[in-house]
Amino acid sequence: MSTTSTAVRSHAEAVEVSRMIDYFGLFILFFTLIGGYHVHGMLTMGDWDFWSDWKDRRLWVTVYPIVQVTFPAAVQAVVWERLRIPWGATACVLAILLGEWINRYFNFWGWTYFPINFVFPTAAVHMAIWLDVVLMLSGSFLFTAVVGALGWGLLMYPGNWPIIAPLHVPVEYNGMLMSVADIQGYHYVRTGTPEYIRMVEKGTLRTFGKDVAPVSAFFSGFMSILIYFIWHFVGRWFGTVKFVKRT
Amino acid sequence: MAATTGTASAAAEAPLVDKKWLAVAIGIYSVFYAWVRWYEGVYGWSAGLDAFAPEFETYWMNFLYIEIVLEVTTASILWGYLWKTRDRNLQAIAGTREELRRNFTHLVWLVAYAYAIYWGASYFTEQDGTWHQTIVRDTDFTPSHIIEFYLSYPIYIITGFAAFIYAHTRLPYFDYQKKGISLPYLVVVVGPFMILPNVGLNEWGHTFWFMEELFVAPLHYGFVFFGWMALGILGTLLQVFASFANLIGRELCGEEVYSGGDAAQWPE
Repeated sequence: MSTTSTAVRSHAEAVEVSRMIDYFGLFILFFTLIGGYHVHGMLTMGDWDFWSDWKDRRLWVTVYPIVQVTFPAAVQAVVWERLRIPWGATACVLAILLGEWINRYFNFWGWTYFPINFVFPTAAVHMAIWLDVVLMLSGSFLFTAVVGALGWGLLMYPGNWPIIAPLHVPVEYNGMLMSVADIQGYHYVRTGTPEYIRMVEKGTLRTFGKDVAPVSAFFSGFMSILIYFIWHFVGRWFGTVKFVKRT
Repeated sequence: MAATTGTASAAAEAPLVDKKWLAVAIGIYSVFYAWVRWYEGVYGWSAGLDAFAPEFETYWMNFLYIEIVLEVTTASILWGYLWKTRDRNLQAIAGTREELRRNFTHLVWLVAYAYAIYWGASYFTEQDGTWHQTIVRDTDFTPSHIIEFYLSYPIYIITGFAAFIYAHTRLPYFDYQKKGISLPYLVVVVGPFMILPNVGLNEWGHTFWFMEELFVAPLHYGFVFFGWMALGILGTLLQVFASFANLIGRELCGEEVYSGGDAAQWPE
């Protein structure tokens, strides 16, 4: 009878149980985040993330950080405030990157035969580490919104520069000035997404010449500040521990 | 002799974590979805491009009809079983090893739900993107939709509601008669469920405008909104941790942390 009247029998067993809870919790959080963050990401910035010829100096730089700062802000708000865990943003980004890489390999390449160097996802771990470090050192959501989220936006393009630069090299193709990425898009035809749908560096921002990417990154950082601030409240709402009773 | 008896009784006692069910949960989804992906690879290109072809009916529409029947049957049996066999006196096990064991069984359910969400919302949803941006659709029931919308989504919905019913009918912390329904749990189960009815909006839009496939099109934002509800896992996990803290808090952290009763409540 005594074996069933208490939950654990010793401090050692309680420690062992608490470690098991940690592992379970990590798996559940991580895989749920892959699903939630990935479906959010692919439908708000997905086209820029799927194809290298969408990865331009303007809209990719602008859209990706703004829509992607949402889940990191929400998760940080709960895991830092409730549990003092300082890697909420990094967990989000690792989760979505795992989902994206698996998909790009097994489906974009494995089912529809696009080469991986045409469909690689955007690198964002460096942005997430920055966001987590700022929150951990400052302990302030306001400071993290202003400094952390601004950096989140500014760091996106430089962090992706090593992989995207060779694809932005200009080439002459049949008498037209194009990039290597454009030629990839020409040769790997996406029948359901005609060429005219691509939203690549349209508009008068091109008159800024070489400054397109920094200006876009700065605007993206500004918007990321606002989105971070809103979404850390969203995170708190989703972190509610309330019960609802029948009225 | 006493040691022998003690060992025998310990061996007879059920383990706190039934690793067999954990392996079954992960294994079933992994093997099944690997087979589904193989099926897509073989019959997507060979029989899935023309919805008016007889082979499309054979390999894809029959797949759709069979999976819908199996899903309704599985949901009815599983949810019905969990409800009919509910514990009607939950407080009798409060604070016992049995409650701890059930909490771990609940975690196995949540692992299954999280894994099913991954397959549905991540793997098969982005897969749908590359299929439709490559193949011009001529039906709502494309090969990728038959798998994504009508297989992987119902599977995570069935799993999620099963976890939800298990928690509220087996765990004293979630006792629905005493405390009501967990709000974050409701969000994390009903929100992703709503993605399935939202398919109605999505398919209606695609049919009406016959648009090219642009994944960031506003028509898709319903999926985004309900995808946010997956964040309800944050509050749900806090409640799960509180449920465990009630059971191991005293032994883990000492009397000064554990004050007895339903102690592990998060401040609102």
